[in-house]
Amino acid sequence: MKKLFVVAALMGGISLFGAQNANAQTTVTLPDSSLTTLFTATVSEQARVVVPGSVLFNVLNVGSSTAASAASVTVDQIVLSTATKQLKLSIQAAAASFTAPAGGGTTWSASDISWNNPAWTNATGSAGTLSSATYNTVSTCDQGTDNCSTTNLVFTLAAKPTVQRSGNHTLTVTWKVESIGA
Amino acid sequence: MLRRFLLIALLATANVTAADQQPGRLAFSATLESIKINARPDDVVTRQFRLTLEPNQPRTTFRVHVDDWWRTPDGAQSVYAAPGTLRHSCATWTSVNPVDATVSAGETMVVRVSVKVPHEITPSGFWCALTVDEVPDPMAQNAGVGVKFLASVSTGIFVYVGDVSRKASIVDLSADASNVRVRVRNDGNAPLGIDGRIEFYAAGTTVPAATVTLPRATVLTEPTVEGVMTAPLPSSIKLPSGRYRMRAILDFGTDHYIGAEREAVITRPVASAGRDR
Repeated sequence: MKKLFVVAALMGGISLFGAQNANAQTTVTLPDSSLTTLFTATVSEQARVVVPGSVLFNVLNVGSSTAASAASVTVDQIVLSTATKQLKLSIQAAAASFTAPAGGGTTWSASDISWNNPAWTNATGSAGTLSSATYNTVSTCDQGTDNCSTTNLVFTLAAKPTVQRSGNHTLTVTWKVESIGA
Repeated sequence: MLRRFLLIALLATANVTAADQQPGRLAFSATLESIKINARPDDVVTRQFRLTLEPNQPRTTFRVHVDDWWRTPDGAQSVYAAPGTLRHSCATWTSVNPVDATVSAGETMVVRVSVKVPHEITPSGFWCALTVDEVPDPMAQNAGVGVKFLASVSTGIFVYVGDVSRKASIVDLSADASNVRVRVRNDGNAPLGIDGRIEFYAAGTTVPAATVTLPRATVLTEPTVEGVMTAPLPSSIKLPSGRYRMRAILDFGTDHYIGAEREAVITRPVASAGRDR
């Protein structure tokens, strides 16, 4: 049992308090373990992750934005060391712009892709815009949950009237599943 | 009539099959435990990371690497950088095997993570990030305008060399209409994992009207020694507008807690956001 008591003075309107060492020793009687077998399961922190493999934008009018079909993201079987740890899902583009079809020409930038903040189960989502420089958060699973998911994540490609070539314009994007903590 | 029925049945079957197979999705399980090591100079310590592909997944190649890592002070974004960017990086003395591996459906990739602590090193905490990236399939064809997603998993490696100093102080405690924040400074020489809670006391009471549990945070020693722990306020039913004494109590793994108190007027929106926790 740790102790907490006031030791410090006011600093900028905040009272700070800490504690000294709390040394307490209690003698307990242990049961005779000679006739028992202890079974121990060592459980690592873990999770099962399901992310979409691709998203297709059916661009019929380059002068208007195009929304892709809703995508599903699931993280379940979440096992963490404390109820206060959280898993974070974020995305980052591998390049600053799409790869245009043969012949080149104007294509979309990574930042032309945005996503909504749909209803998440057991998570807090964030709408955002794609970047090739940083991972931007899509969702953070709630504390203490064993799963979090959505089935309604919609990516939207911005209008780009200067695009002149039909064909395959592609971009690789990485989903980052992160659980880093001291 | 029979032909129409058969057609409908076939279409229904096709829909079920497509939904069940969920083509193109990547599904896997992975160990996400940060690797934490107490070591001395010249020690060599080995740990494992495991990633298992789900059944019905295509053969997938993964690449493993170790980088420097830190978070922005607000905790919102992670930054990954080349090994050795930070002075307290362990990436330059951490190796992985294998570096590349191709995994079939249902198979598990086991990565050996070896940390060799240098001979000449100042006692303190060091850290880096282990990352397993899906490698794009060069044979995969993308049709139309679209995005090809890859998966990446990162977890932390924390190495505490010698006798480290774990110290922290609360720099600020504040609340707005929807969130409460505690700014913490790492005064020691090792990364701190910090848990905590904030209690709200109405005037003249000794029992908190509401308590908010803060998400666990990691506060490093560089590039910044400060971090902000943020949590949404409870609903306005549990914590209506008013003057409160806020008390933050933080636990960073030593034999005592640290805390701070502040008076605050909290004004909640009429139709309160905020979450019951």
